Amino acid sequence: MFMYRHRTDKSQNITDKPALTDIKDGQTGIIVSITGGSKAVKRLADLGLNPGTEIKVLRKTLFSGPVQIEVSGSRLVLGRGLASKIFVDPK
Amino acid sequence: MTVERKISIVLAGQGNAGKSTVFNYLTGLHQHIGNWAGKTIEKREGTLYYDGHTIDVLDLPGIYSLTTYSDEEVLSREYIIRQRPDCVVNIIDTTNLERNLIFTLQLLELERPLILALNMIDLVNRKGITIDFNKLRNILNAPVIPTVASRGSGLSGIIDKAIELKGTTTYHTIHKYGKEIENCIGQLAGLLQDLNLPYPERWISIKLLEKDGDIIKLVRERNPEVLEKAKRFCMELEEIHGHDSSIVIADERSHLASQITREVVKINPGNNISLSDRLDAVTTHKFTGYLVMIVIMGGMFFTVFSFGNLLSGWFDTIFKNWHSWWNDNVGITFLAALGWSAIESVLALVQIAFPYILPFYIILYTLEDWGYISRISFLMDKLMHKMGIHGKGCISFIIGLGCNVPGCLSCRIMESRRERFITAILVTLVPCSAVSVIVFGLVGKYVGLLWALGLYLFAMILIFLVGRISSRFITGEPVELIMPMSDYKTPDFRTIINQTWDAMKEFIYIAAPVVIISGVVIQAINMAGWMPAISSFLSPVTVNWLGLPSITGILLIFGILRKELILVMLAAYLGTTSFADVLTPQQMITLAVVSMFYIPCVATISVLWNEYGWKKALIVCILEILFAILLAGIVKRILDLVF
Repeated sequence: MFMYRHRTDKSQNITDKPALTDIKDGQTGIIVSITGGSKAVKRLADLGLNPGTEIKVLRKTLFSGPVQIEVSGSRLVLGRGLASKIFVDPK
Repeated sequence: MTVERKISIVLAGQGNAGKSTVFNYLTGLHQHIGNWAGKTIEKREGTLYYDGHTIDVLDLPGIYSLTTYSDEEVLSREYIIRQRPDCVVNIIDTTNLERNLIFTLQLLELERPLILALNMIDLVNRKGITIDFNKLRNILNAPVIPTVASRGSGLSGIIDKAIELKGTTTYHTIHKYGKEIENCIGQLAGLLQDLNLPYPERWISIKLLEKDGDIIKLVRERNPEVLEKAKRFCMELEEIHGHDSSIVIADERSHLASQITREVVKINPGNNISLSDRLDAVTTHKFTGYLVMIVIMGGMFFTVFSFGNLLSGWFDTIFKNWHSWWNDNVGITFLAALGWSAIESVLALVQIAFPYILPFYIILYTLEDWGYISRISFLMDKLMHKMGIHGKGCISFIIGLGCNVPGCLSCRIMESRRERFITAILVTLVPCSAVSVIVFGLVGKYVGLLWALGLYLFAMILIFLVGRISSRFITGEPVELIMPMSDYKTPDFRTIINQTWDAMKEFIYIAAPVVIISGVVIQAINMAGWMPAISSFLSPVTVNWLGLPSITGILLIFGILRKELILVMLAAYLGTTSFADVLTPQQMITLAVVSMFYIPCVATISVLWNEYGWKKALIVCILEILFAILLAGIVKRILDLVF
């Protein structure tokens, strides 16, 4: 009974979308795509960060440090490099 | 007639879910902590005697998925599949239910009996959230038990269920993926049936679609044709979904987890922003976060050292007459003197362990259990990155401030070997309590507190620079920080005591024997009358280059045992503790600098040896000796201009 219906979203166009590091603290967005090493991408997917997921940037640190995010009710901290490879559609 | 009934259960779960608390509660004193064969991963086993049953409990490492991301993950899944424990208990951090369920779904795929322990249910309820356990049970067709591990509530329910499940062959509802994926899984599983692999076919099929390196290798050896087929399926899925097939699978799992969460979780409205959220906002804020960090860390230091000095002075008065008592009653023979040096080592270890290390770890683990330490990792991540590691390394540094031995061992929290090694090198440069005794007892007392604090700042800058340099030379791809941040919660006394005890155990079992044995050896060398020769051999360095009295050669050799011996023996040699009468301020600062960095103590060296091999341990020691001598000489020359 629990079957996931697929979204038709196949958007891979990342160039015009802001990265997590580009949006404001407190802003929410839908993940469009995640680039970067396959291992890290897989790890993020296992933590629930997939294209189509809603994600909120809680806050960043000074001097372009890591980013604190909220995704599906959990809080995560992502290193800057990784966060800059997650592209979102801001709400 | 009694039949011995044995049951084996494993605890699996993500970090911070309270797995260790459950483990400690269940096994109490009947636990054995060692290493997994051939790996530097901690293996925690224990036994529970319950209602006529002997229950073996194994605590798997805290992991976030069952891929091949880290050794811990590979080990966990191999263990569950190959050792076939009677039951897997999935400890779930219910405050992060959705994320934890993704892991649960992966555990279900391993096809072993599974019990879900919804831990920290009290925190969830306090947030105004209720969870429909029956619904969750029905969806997964697995037992669901709400627990509060810190209070032990619900834990006997887990054991009752485990006993009930023993020997049953009814499996849980294994979730289904989308139609086209199930089609691929079905076809692959069919092909795998004849291969007789030690894993469930469905699981292998899923792993093939996830492009799991280990499984691909395994299947290639048995039947490369299946692999070809799997590759074609992967491409098909990528064509349909527009993402890598491994992401497609993970995506389905996380959507399922979110669907289940929505079904079973009920949020009661009317709840405002929680205290934890407000605390989080302050403690991770761009400005106030750093301010709070400085206040908390500074306060911790101040507390530990003012308490430590008090207690240490108290111990001094107790142990004062023991040596003369020993000489009077045992005699002054060669063996008696060696015996005394062993006793002296024990007394000295007591004097550093109780006044400084113990309170340090109690405070540290209170902060950790409260939830603060991960905030420091967040704040410090950027700085750590400059040293080639990430924010979590900061935790090892802080642990190292108590004692370098647990500090070095804690580097296992880093994901890659490269990061572990860099962190370990840097931890050996962190001034531990013994070094702090020198810094405060010598420089702080006779030159000025600001100078002592300046030395700490100096150490921090140095660690930073060494980190920068070593990250250039130790090759490998840097790992990015991915760290869950849990809510603040009331620290649990039991957990704090357990963690403190674990750190103290490392100090007692690893550091103490090495220190005592080498103490006796060095004492023997001393009594053989070779020390003056050694100190005059070292005098070009100690006297000419560093401008210190020639006795420091011997002190530095003893200091390898335990750093604070440098100060203790200096006092014994001079016959006074008013160091200012015999040493100039430059000399005191120079000696403190040498003591801080010149070599890790024997106990730390033995840990480095164990974890990274003797070659790396040796290289670290030699480089640190050369580096500290060079550095202290330069410091001395600069100080000569200042004073």
